[in-house]
Amino acid sequence: MECALDAQSLISISLRKIHSSRTQRGGIKLHKNLLVSYVLRNARQLYLSERYAELYRRQQQQQQQQQQPPHHQHLAYAAPGMPASAADFGPLQLGGGGDAEAREPVARHQLHQLHQLHQLHLQQQLHQHQHPAPRGCAVTAAGAPAGGAGALSELPGCAALQPPHGAPHRGQPLESLQPGPAPLPLPLPPPAPAALCLRDPRASAACSAPSAPPGATPPAAAASPPASPAPASSPGFYRGAYPAPLDFGVHCSSQTTVLDLDTHVVTTVENGYLHQDCCASAHCPCCGQGAPGPGLASTTGCKRKYYPGQEEEDEDEEDPGDLGAEPPGGAPFAPCKRARFEDFCPDSSPDASNISNLISIFGSGFSGLVSRQPDSSEQPPPLNGQLCAKQALASLGAWTRAIVAF
Amino acid sequence: MAGAGGGGCPAGGNDFQWCFSQVKGAIDEDVAEADIISTVEFNYSGDLLATGDKGGRVVIFQREQENKSRPHSRGEYNVYSTFQSHEPEFDYLKSLEIEEKINKIRWLPQQNAAHFLLSTNDKTIKLWKISERDKRAEGYNLKDEDGRLRDPFRITALRVPILKPMDLMVEASPRRIFANAHTYHINSISVNSDHETYLSADDLRINLWHLEITDRSFNIVDIKPANMEELTEVITAAEFHPHQCNVFVYSSSKGTIRLCDMRSSALCDRHSKFFEEPEDPSSRSFFSEIISSISDVKFSHSGRYMMTRDYLSVKVWDLNMESRPVETHQVHEYLRSKLCSLYENDCIFDKFECCWNGSDSAIMTGSYNNFFRMFDRNTRRDVTLEASRENSKPRASLKPRKVCTGGKRKKDEISVDSLDFNKKILHTAWHPVENIIAVAATNNLYIFQDKIN
Repeated sequence: MECALDAQSLISISLRKIHSSRTQRGGIKLHKNLLVSYVLRNARQLYLSERYAELYRRQQQQQQQQQQPPHHQHLAYAAPGMPASAADFGPLQLGGGGDAEAREPVARHQLHQLHQLHQLHLQQQLHQHQHPAPRGCAVTAAGAPAGGAGALSELPGCAALQPPHGAPHRGQPLESLQPGPAPLPLPLPPPAPAALCLRDPRASAACSAPSAPPGATPPAAAASPPASPAPASSPGFYRGAYPAPLDFGVHCSSQTTVLDLDTHVVTTVENGYLHQDCCASAHCPCCGQGAPGPGLASTTGCKRKYYPGQEEEDEDEEDPGDLGAEPPGGAPFAPCKRARFEDFCPDSSPDASNISNLISIFGSGFSGLVSRQPDSSEQPPPLNGQLCAKQALASLGAWTRAIVAF
Repeated sequence: MAGAGGGGCPAGGNDFQWCFSQVKGAIDEDVAEADIISTVEFNYSGDLLATGDKGGRVVIFQREQENKSRPHSRGEYNVYSTFQSHEPEFDYLKSLEIEEKINKIRWLPQQNAAHFLLSTNDKTIKLWKISERDKRAEGYNLKDEDGRLRDPFRITALRVPILKPMDLMVEASPRRIFANAHTYHINSISVNSDHETYLSADDLRINLWHLEITDRSFNIVDIKPANMEELTEVITAAEFHPHQCNVFVYSSSKGTIRLCDMRSSALCDRHSKFFEEPEDPSSRSFFSEIISSISDVKFSHSGRYMMTRDYLSVKVWDLNMESRPVETHQVHEYLRSKLCSLYENDCIFDKFECCWNGSDSAIMTGSYNNFFRMFDRNTRRDVTLEASRENSKPRASLKPRKVCTGGKRKKDEISVDSLDFNKKILHTAWHPVENIIAVAATNNLYIFQDKIN
């Protein structure tokens, strides 16, 4: 009955469930997929926070080695309610060659990107759930007393394990928000309602404003600045602030296309990747090699009316490939199969169509996660699975509602 | 608040002494998927008991009249009618197969000799008329007894057909088909107390129908966001108030319940009351969202309370208090530490139902290992019982069961790890007046009666 409660396995289990739900009788079950996406989000937050902590810890260690005898900081991520095993995760898989992160400037850069990603994700949640303050939960020393708080003050904010629910009436304490240390610029939060479209701020204007979520909380709440002063409560406090919208590393992006079955409106949204993951591969377009970054050509806008007469084969959500799931003109992402729909032969294995559908929906090649043998010619094997998971993780923010492929 | 696990089952007072009465369904180990019962419902008088299964069939049992010559068959339920309600369909436009599984059956109050019920699958609701025929006309002029037409030139005399008794035949005929109103999967139907309208709810919308009109329905709740990526919750169950025909409630996957008043506006997106219990932050986990999703909501017969079922507990709410439930009963708290495994094997997505007894003094819901739980609201006692073939001797009392949560396992206790998660009781029903319960265990229907009864 035991199962590994670690983030990565949960993520792969969840993705497998989503994948298999597409072939189940009766069609996609919206409710179940929504719940699975919540688990995905929770696992992702934990995974990223661990990683962030790990990176920071290494950075700290290097700094301290230069200055003084190493001061051991036991940074076990302990979140309330998590079983003890959750805090003792195995060595984090840091992609792209483990030792690279040990080098300080790279580590700091990754930290920065990771942090930005987190800010963005929290931002999305913030607007989505209309919660006035982020629920930061800085990495805490396991069982840290006040003495740990001193060490904590050095840490920039990191993952919130507790995904924000509707705010105060759920009884969660509000976390304080304090201006961050140097590496992180003080930003302004992007304008409210266009939550999940906001990877690319230019696309945000084109996105339609969402209707009020059930419960009819006034939209004004979404626009309230996140820096609401509130007493810091015990699990930690949130330092740092949102990066300015233009700082987002939208170089490596892809698109998710969603077909709304009711209105036949096609929505194309941007996903973002961790920059370091992209650049781990020599083929990353944004690093100046190969074709120009797909993200730059990405302002195809959000909503597009779909005319049923046009492309018959795109009527059902299984085949959005032609509608922009593939970044226009971009070279396929080498590390994982960035499937161009056309690349998949109709007569290939029955698996391929499912996976290509799924890839085009999630905008990332996670064929590494599904038990499909990667083509060794195209992908460096050690990176494949990891990178796919990372891409999936990174792009989770935009397709957290994986059930959009309805 | 009642604790986890099972208590004793002392006799006397308000406590029940449940005894096995009947079991319906095949005995073999190999259960065909189509035979799995997917809904159970008594009618308003309790004389009829309907079940729907995954194969789209409806089986109706009727309670036998008490008969002095056969004292042992006091109030037994026997098959009354069987018919195929829904067939599998294919939506060519969306390349979706539509399952024929019956999601819900709801009876209409009886108004004449015939019985009416609504049955629904994921997309289509049907109104069925179940009527008896025990007489047959004989002596037609234009056709023979076996139905062949007679040659008109051969008819030399006229006669008046007469009605003769025949073996009772129960016919089920579809009187209305309410289709094409739901894009998402229908999870609930509920007949209004006005007996003229009913609602049907899918994941994102609730529609109001008139029983006579099939080509139109009113959309009264729509929680679909403009951008589906912003979807955060879905509707999981909906029900009309038992007495106030303008009031209904719907529950969400976030563990909230909204009560709406149709008098306030045509579109009830804005609720009149919002029921939510603050989350306990110390119990957060990866699966908090899943286990807080409400799988069933039922009004009490009085209309004063409503009950909700989430994965681990049953809560009773007073309609006048929105901030928290008045009662919380743990169904199987010992599963809280097993959520990860239950997520892997998909059991965490099981949707358990719950039901009230006729006097609203007790509530019942199902669990795993063919266990079901009953909570007495007055005495605050709870009991765990099992529906199994082993305890199926006629009028045998059910022995309370107990799940051992850790440490030493006492005799007769069962440990959490030995529970069979494939044997789940999702659907139960309580007779509206008497203490008779129907419990669906996969493909078998168990009927238990209270000995005192």
